[in-house]
Amino acid sequence: MPDVISQNMPFLLQGLVTTLRIAALTAIGGTLLGLAVGVAVQLRLPFVAGLLRVYIEFVRGTPLLVMLFICYFALPALMGLHVTAEQATVLGFVLFIAAYIAEDVRSGLRSIGSGLVRAALATGLTRLQSLRLIIVPLALRRIIPALFNQYVRLLKFTSVASVIGVQEFTGSAMLVNARVFAPVSILIFVALTYLVLCLLLSSVGRVLHAYLAA
Amino acid sequence: MWLPGQGRSRFGFTVNYQFDWEPILESRALILEGLATTILLSLCALALASIIGVIVGTLASSRHKGARLGAAAIVELTRNIPLLIHMYIWYVGLAFLRLPPFLCGVLGLSVYSGAYVAEIVRAGIASVPDGQNKAALATGLTRLQALLLVVYPQALRIVAPSLGNVFSQLIKDSSLASAIAVMELTYQASAIEGQTFRTFEIYITICALYLLLVSAVTLALRLLAGPRDDAPAQELASA
Repeated sequence: MPDVISQNMPFLLQGLVTTLRIAALTAIGGTLLGLAVGVAVQLRLPFVAGLLRVYIEFVRGTPLLVMLFICYFALPALMGLHVTAEQATVLGFVLFIAAYIAEDVRSGLRSIGSGLVRAALATGLTRLQSLRLIIVPLALRRIIPALFNQYVRLLKFTSVASVIGVQEFTGSAMLVNARVFAPVSILIFVALTYLVLCLLLSSVGRVLHAYLAA
Repeated sequence: MWLPGQGRSRFGFTVNYQFDWEPILESRALILEGLATTILLSLCALALASIIGVIVGTLASSRHKGARLGAAAIVELTRNIPLLIHMYIWYVGLAFLRLPPFLCGVLGLSVYSGAYVAEIVRAGIASVPDGQNKAALATGLTRLQALLLVVYPQALRIVAPSLGNVFSQLIKDSSLASAIAVMELTYQASAIEGQTFRTFEIYITICALYLLLVSAVTLALRLLAGPRDDAPAQELASA
C-alpha cells in the first residue's frame, strides 16, 4: 500500500464511516418510505395516490445532484430552516431512492396473484391484515434483488454528497489529494474500496434472496 | 406574483420566501447554453456508451469462456465504481493527459453507462431464440451478418424499454459533470444561484428541463421500437 494511503488512513476511515452511516440511514429510510408510497399508489388510495404518482415521476426525472441542491439550498431557503450538509444529504437520498423503491414495491405487489389475495380475505383476515401479514411480505421477498440493486446504487451515490461538502469517503479522499497530490494511488484506492463494498452488498442480496425466496 | 403566507406556520418555522422569477428570465441565455451542453454531452456519451455496450455485451454472450469472463470482469469493475470517481479518474487521475473537462465527462459517463448497456445487450441476445442464429448461419450468412441482420434487430425491440431507462439515467447522470467543471445545465444553475440567490426558482426550472429531456428520450425510444408486438418473433420461434 502506498505511503499516501497508509499515512492518511485514519482520516480516510473516518470518511468511510460517514459514507456507511449515510448509506445505512438512507437505505432504511428509503425502504420504509418507498414501501409506504408503493403500497399507497398500488391500492389507489383516493387523492393521495395521484399526488404520490406526481412525486414518483418528478423524482425519477430529476438528477440526484439537483435533488441534493434542492434539499440543501432551496428547501431551507424556502422554509427558513438551517440544515447541515449531512442532514440535507440524508433527506435528499431518502426522497430520491424512495421513488425508485416505490416502483419496485409496486411491481412486487402486482406479481402477487389475485387468488392469493382472495384466499387471504376468505380466511377472515381484514384487508389491512392480509396486506401486512401475507401480501407485503411475499412481495418484498420477490423484489429483494431489485431492492439490493437500489442499495448498491445508493452506496455509489453517497459519493455525490461530497459535491455539497459532506466529508464522506470521496470527499475526504479528494481533500487528501488536494494536500499531497497523489491522484493515481488515491483514486485507485477509493475505486477499489467502493468496488469491494458494492460487490459485498450485492452478494448479501443474492444470499438473502436465495435463502428467503426458496 | 405568488406570495406565500407570511408568518409562523404550524410546523414551527417561518415561511417568508418571496418568489421572483425575473432573474431566471434574465439569465435564460446561460440556462439555454447549459441545456445545449447537457444535450451534447448526453448525445456523445450515449453514442460511445452504446458502442462499448454492444461490444462488451456481445463478448459476454460469446461461446468462448475467456471472452465471457473478460466481459463480466469489465462490467463488474466499471459498474461498481461510483460515476463521480469515473469522472475524477479521467479529470484528476489522468490529469497529465490534459483532456478538456467536456471530454472527461463524456469518457466517464460512457464507460460507466456502457457497463449497463452491456448487461442489457447480453440479456437481449439471450432472449432471441438460438434457432434464429442457427437458421441464419444455415442460410449462408457469416457470423457477423447473422448478428447484425438477424440477432441484433430482434434483440433491440425486446430491450428497447430497458435501453430507454439507461439512456434517461445517463441524461440525469450527466449532471455530475458539473463537479469536474463542465458547464452544463446543473453547473449553470449553481452559477446563476450564486449570482441571484433565486435558489428555489432556478432549481425548479432545471428540474423541469431535465424532466422534459428524459420524457423526450423515453418517448422517442418507444416510437423507435414500435408497438410491442412480439407475435411474429413468437411464431418464428415456435415454427
